[in-house]
Amino acid sequence: MTDIKTGQISIDDLENVQITIGKIVGAIEKKAKDEGVKVGPTPKPGISTLRSWDHKILSRYHPVYTPACDQCCYCTYGKCDLSGNKEGACGINMAAHNARETLLRVITGAAAHSAHGRHILHHLIDLYGNDKTIDMGPSNLLAPNTLAVTGIKPETLGDLEEVLDYVEEQITQLLATIQVGQEGGAIDFESKILHGGMLDHVGMEVSELAQVSSMQMPKSDPDTPLVEIGMGCIDASKPVLLVIGHNVAGVTYIMDYIHDHELDDKIEVAGLCCTAIDMTRYKVENGGKPRAKIVGTMAKELKMIRSGVADLIVVDEQCVRADVLDEAKKLSIPVIATNEKIMYGLPDRSADDPKDIIDDLASRKEDGALILDFHVLGQVGPELAIKMSKIRDEMGIKALPKEEDMQGLASKCIYCGACEMDCPDNLPIMEAMKAGVDSDLSKFEYLHDKCIACGRCDQACPKEIPILNLIEKASQKLIREEKGYVRAGRGQISDPEIREEGVNLVLGTTPGIIAMVGCSNYADGTRDYFKVADEMLKRNYIVVTSGCAAMDLGMYKNEEGETLYEKYPAKFLAGNLINVGSCVSNSHITGTAIKVAAIFAQRQVAGNYEEIADYIANRIGAVGVAWGAYSQKAVAIGSGCNRLGIPVVVGPHGSKYRRALIGKPYEEEEWKVYDARNGEQMPIPTSPEFMLTTVESVEELLPILAKNCIRPSDNNMGRMIKLTHYIELSQKYLGHMPYDWYNFVRTETDLPLAKREELLKILEKEHGWEIDWKRKKILSGPSMKSDVSAQPTNVKRLCKGEC
Amino acid sequence: MVDTTKNTQIYETWGRNVAKPVNPNVAGKVITKAKRPLLVVASELLKDEKLVEKAIAIAKKGIPVAATGHSITALMDKGIDAKYINIHSLATFLGDARWSGLDGKGSYDTIVFLGHKKYYLNQVLAGLKNFTDLKTLCIERHYMQNSSLSFGNLKADVHFEALDELIDNL
Repeated sequence: MTDIKTGQISIDDLENVQITIGKIVGAIEKKAKDEGVKVGPTPKPGISTLRSWDHKILSRYHPVYTPACDQCCYCTYGKCDLSGNKEGACGINMAAHNARETLLRVITGAAAHSAHGRHILHHLIDLYGNDKTIDMGPSNLLAPNTLAVTGIKPETLGDLEEVLDYVEEQITQLLATIQVGQEGGAIDFESKILHGGMLDHVGMEVSELAQVSSMQMPKSDPDTPLVEIGMGCIDASKPVLLVIGHNVAGVTYIMDYIHDHELDDKIEVAGLCCTAIDMTRYKVENGGKPRAKIVGTMAKELKMIRSGVADLIVVDEQCVRADVLDEAKKLSIPVIATNEKIMYGLPDRSADDPKDIIDDLASRKEDGALILDFHVLGQVGPELAIKMSKIRDEMGIKALPKEEDMQGLASKCIYCGACEMDCPDNLPIMEAMKAGVDSDLSKFEYLHDKCIACGRCDQACPKEIPILNLIEKASQKLIREEKGYVRAGRGQISDPEIREEGVNLVLGTTPGIIAMVGCSNYADGTRDYFKVADEMLKRNYIVVTSGCAAMDLGMYKNEEGETLYEKYPAKFLAGNLINVGSCVSNSHITGTAIKVAAIFAQRQVAGNYEEIADYIANRIGAVGVAWGAYSQKAVAIGSGCNRLGIPVVVGPHGSKYRRALIGKPYEEEEWKVYDARNGEQMPIPTSPEFMLTTVESVEELLPILAKNCIRPSDNNMGRMIKLTHYIELSQKYLGHMPYDWYNFVRTETDLPLAKREELLKILEKEHGWEIDWKRKKILSGPSMKSDVSAQPTNVKRLCKGEC
Repeated sequence: MVDTTKNTQIYETWGRNVAKPVNPNVAGKVITKAKRPLLVVASELLKDEKLVEKAIAIAKKGIPVAATGHSITALMDKGIDAKYINIHSLATFLGDARWSGLDGKGSYDTIVFLGHKKYYLNQVLAGLKNFTDLKTLCIERHYMQNSSLSFGNLKADVHFEALDELIDNL
């Protein structure tokens, strides 16, 4: 029997009949089989399939709940007071309810990413067809998350449909468990959280596979161009078209229209959040020049709108403020919504003549429009921005207060403290007001970098002082100087790069991967992130970044006047700084870890999630840092890392996620694994000591990062390097030797070379270890042996003789 | 005598159980009567030298200190028993009867907080409030509704006076 293929066929004898075959059940699996791809035990896992793996993680990393509310108000039995871990009317207790709350956030984030993936996939299939080949650069392992989870090895855009079918079905199944009267066990909500996180990385990966393959974005390119970033780099003398969101599909039509009509030098196209990142990746493959600038993260959104610089705002989806239309209206800036997820109540003009839309918005007959037809959008956007620029100039719109009004506004303050109490960071606004009365604006300027521009202070002020506007007006000089560079997102790490660097990561001679990701809700301003990256890069860690974190790293310069992107190369090697791309590019970070297991260790990937995760957990010294994580997407990303055994640190605001996974170093029994060579138990170092935790300050964070890159598989050289950084960073930022450094010593060759003798003395004197001083060797004391041949695993079935 | 109980206005709600406002003399007695108190300080301490002095003065009354964040940098070589620990780990261990404390001498019964970010501490306290029986006492500038006992919202100078009075009562 002949195999039927997808596509269109005609039958000779039947006139005007054409049959389209869109999908063949089992075709992907058959193709994989034909190509010799072995599929492991868990393709397309359901909610319970990887439960035993989750419970292994959770038996070492205990769920810790810090509720954001003592009550449950999910159903009409309530509100129920669950304080003191009481049960509500339905029988759920505080622990389970908080795990459920976290699950809801995780699947919200996963849904946001996968719905983004579905939207862009449909759009690109419409443009290029199902058979458009997936091309991510010089790799055979194109879709590591997808392959590990589903067992599917996608080769075309059409293949991705089935992957998303799976993700969407699982998200629905998880959402169903939120319903009252479903799951009651906190531990199983925890397993579901990890499941949701895993799905999130597949959803993100689909978005990336589709857009990188179809939009001429860089493909594993370490030499992507540098892109201008910062409010100061926007040329306000030109018409400014500002795009906000995460989904680049619509704005590519605007960019093409501008390019095709030779308007590139006549319009300033700038973006906020991840759409901005992806705009700068669009058509830059093979040396293309970026056609947009980046303003910055969500923390710049209200600041940028209120600056009045934009002549038109185009929004798509995710991380877009709910009040964009209201804020823009005050400054006569039209708003165009381009995605069903955000429509702001605007009239649907998708089918209208572009000229009519432009007339209605330019005359302010309408404040904005919903345009879902991207051809219409492509024309309306640039032409309207040009028209509005002139109109707004003629109107003489002044956005921020005048200098002479500042003192008067500050003197309206009655020092009630409402602004400070409502400020998420309790910033010292009253001090700035006091100084402002005396025309000293320096204290407002001080607030600029620390303020995340949420606008809660404005809402709280009983005197209706526009506090954020005062801060921004006082900071005009600083803002003009806010100019930096970001390296355009390069996409995934290629297979050849993994071959070159994998061994160093597994043995520890490259001390670790620090993945700096997430949003900009920092504890103490943007500069903190720069400090962390700079310190770790100097120490030869690989720093991988994405999304808003990638943007913020480009905002500052070192003493030599360079941004980190200018200073450090972007290959997958020790001491390199890699921007993989936007929020959905986070899948490349977990994908890299999977690739190390597949390529360096030759582990089977397809449908073999548990074994891959087990390998990563025990061997790859990677830590995620989401220092300013604010969104549901961020907690979904973090949970996906956790299921793969990658620990994640969030900043202090991350405590509001209300859950952490923390290990207890004093419980010796919890820090053991099997040696796969013989199935015997072996002790492991207490690192990572958490899967998810919060940290208060960057000074505290830095030694934590070094410590939590330690893994059982480190060879002596690797352990020595990692221990050196842990000790040095503790001394530098906390002022003392870490209390637990000796717990990571297996033999004298693990000790930092320069301090070996000094540390041997401490081991003997303070910890009672026996030292042979002639040979400078440790005779007894360590709780674990150094054995580079050991095969640490958490999974008994992977041990010799078990299968 | 400083009245630290007047302003207990809250700006976010957690639930119906909120901290009992206390005056410095009562707070001093609570600490004195505790079998095993622990002072937990954090990095906000470092923003004001005076606050560091008050924390050291309390510690010198024989109260062990858990220094979270990077606050330990101001507390070394001051003749006090201070040790660094991450606050989220600390809060986890505090609720575990098997934890032997920072010094190996056993767990604690009364936890006193000073020098923390308000939102962060309130979140940590939400965990302790709901999942442990520990007595928590906040001697911060802000009313910390999720602790068992707390000062109210105070101006900076009143806060220092209150801390002095508390120290006198130890």
